[in-house]
Amino acid sequence: MLRYALHDGRFSVLFFSYMSDQPQESLPTSKVARAARFAKTGLKVGANYVQHYAKKAVGADSPTADLHQANAEELYGTLSEMKGSVLKVAQMLAMEKNLLPPAYAKQFQQAQYQTPPLSGPLVVKAFRDAFGHSPSEVFEEFDPSARQAASIGQVHFARKMGKALAVKVQYPGVGASIKSDIAMVKPVALRIMGLKEETLRPYLAEVEARLIEETDYKLELSRGQAVAAKCGHLPHLQFPTYYPALSSARILTMDWLPGQHMQEFLAKNPPQEVRNQLGQALWDFYQYQLRELRQLHADPHPGNFLFSLTDGGTVGVLDFGCVKDVPPLEQQQFLALLDPATLADPARLEALLTEAGVLRPTDSPALRGMYLRTLTQSLELVGRPFRQDTFDLGDPAYLKSLYALGDDLMQDQDLRQQREPRGSAHFVYLNRTYVGLFSLLTELGAVVNTTYQPLTLTF
Amino acid sequence: MEPTLLKPAYLDYLRRHGHAPKTVFAFADAQGITEGEFYRTYASFAAIEREAWVEFGREARAQAAQEPAWQGYGAREKILAFYYTLLEILKNNRSFVLLTLKRSQQRKLAVVPKVLDHFEAEFKDFVEELLHEGRTTGEVASRPFLQDGYGRIFLRQLQFILLFFVRDESAGFERTDAAVEKAVTLSFDLVGRNTFDSALDFGRFLLQKHS
Repeated sequence: MLRYALHDGRFSVLFFSYMSDQPQESLPTSKVARAARFAKTGLKVGANYVQHYAKKAVGADSPTADLHQANAEELYGTLSEMKGSVLKVAQMLAMEKNLLPPAYAKQFQQAQYQTPPLSGPLVVKAFRDAFGHSPSEVFEEFDPSARQAASIGQVHFARKMGKALAVKVQYPGVGASIKSDIAMVKPVALRIMGLKEETLRPYLAEVEARLIEETDYKLELSRGQAVAAKCGHLPHLQFPTYYPALSSARILTMDWLPGQHMQEFLAKNPPQEVRNQLGQALWDFYQYQLRELRQLHADPHPGNFLFSLTDGGTVGVLDFGCVKDVPPLEQQQFLALLDPATLADPARLEALLTEAGVLRPTDSPALRGMYLRTLTQSLELVGRPFRQDTFDLGDPAYLKSLYALGDDLMQDQDLRQQREPRGSAHFVYLNRTYVGLFSLLTELGAVVNTTYQPLTLTF
Repeated sequence: MEPTLLKPAYLDYLRRHGHAPKTVFAFADAQGITEGEFYRTYASFAAIEREAWVEFGREARAQAAQEPAWQGYGAREKILAFYYTLLEILKNNRSFVLLTLKRSQQRKLAVVPKVLDHFEAEFKDFVEELLHEGRTTGEVASRPFLQDGYGRIFLRQLQFILLFFVRDESAGFERTDAAVEKAVTLSFDLVGRNTFDSALDFGRFLLQKHS
């Protein structure tokens, strides 16, 4: 499981690329068109292989890395044209870096997730379906042009009873297309990326479950309300109020929170104290969720947070589409691994890793030794913030050494042969969450107090 | 019986039984009128069906135009609004839609069912109006000769959407909504100024140079 954590360092970049705004020129629409795109990619990838073997046949040096590079570019081109759940699946696979040859992983770092904007009439229709009235009748004021894109829809500004509201409207048919999208990604992932079926299956199942949950705004509403109720007492955090009467399975109405997204906020050069306070608020939020709630806001990309100078720095938390329940066993294993005492005690580490399924009784002593060696090395680095009272995540050296470690491990011949992932699929999300958090804090340049004190003691 | 009540009575029969009455006589008799009185209003059952379709179209255009945002819409949004409103109406009359469209599909008489004749004619006028409006706002490219065929493109689009709706089995017909959105975007990409116009312009330039 630690293998996930340690490799993920490099994928922090991925989270920020969500916000990049290269316009998509064309969008193949029907299932047939999508399938056609894939077929085309398959052909080109095939051609790449032919080239590879042709070069080999004439004795030229055509390393497999080149081949992967060419395939990855081809595949990325296809996926970025398709958007939607296909791209999201690819991104998630990319986060699982061990699953992919490095060339693919790099290409996917550029991946972005956007849906084309909904037309005005479709927004009106979504409202008529849900409430029997058009938005201008439901709200006192409704801006027909979207203020921003959400992961599978868009956000409109509205006003009712003097309150500023954010109204999220989902793109139609997203839920219906997830299953077929994943079914399409699967053979590509298997063949082109050279993965095994049984390796991929649990991960795709996990990804599919989360994606389908994300399309259910009713669920997001109840989760948002629940998390806000449970975390409302944490300092310097702000949660929107949700309005069930103005929401449906495809429309979600909540308060319009003040604040700016990360990039705009940082452009104004907020003072270090503010950065620290914001970083601390985020850190405490995630620690509290993992330790007390066993439930994680598992999508910590910058688009889901708003930052403001209120009270010396306040973080607004949006989007509870991706909330991950962490089973008690996995939570205990994860926390135990991060415990400083574990690193100091090799026997305990070995026992823990065996229990978590990372080490297997059937492993040869050499393989076991190799895993233990690399995992100890990684744990030292990944767990470093947890072993100090305060940690400066703003120091780029830390994230850099995480990247470097990832690179070293990718170069490691023994490790490269072990492509199959080990440990629980739940760690996909634990991982995604923590890497996202570390990246956010590094971007913020925050120094945080990392010791965990149960809040009953602090308050 | 009032002639205006004939249509609802016929549609009700069609929906309940899944087929038209055996004869006009039987139907007229059940309504308490003579067969002759029936023909004074309609020449056949098919005429009633055609009229029902025409009214769906008229109602959709009227309802869509009532939406407060309508005035601010461009041509693309107006046609989208029309489709969504129409589909809303068709959803409430899906049994009738399936009966009339599927019947003609089974017989494979024509790609375009006859029952849609008048409905489509009015749709074509509506689209021509929108395209004209679009040309003044620049949404639609002016292409002499070629643009005469635009009406047909949109007619095909309408038929595609109706067929999609008939076959759609997603909950709430969400897939049809997505199909409408994408089909209209594509059609306006086609009729708007695009690569084709630049290519044409370039070609013209080359020809001029030679002469």
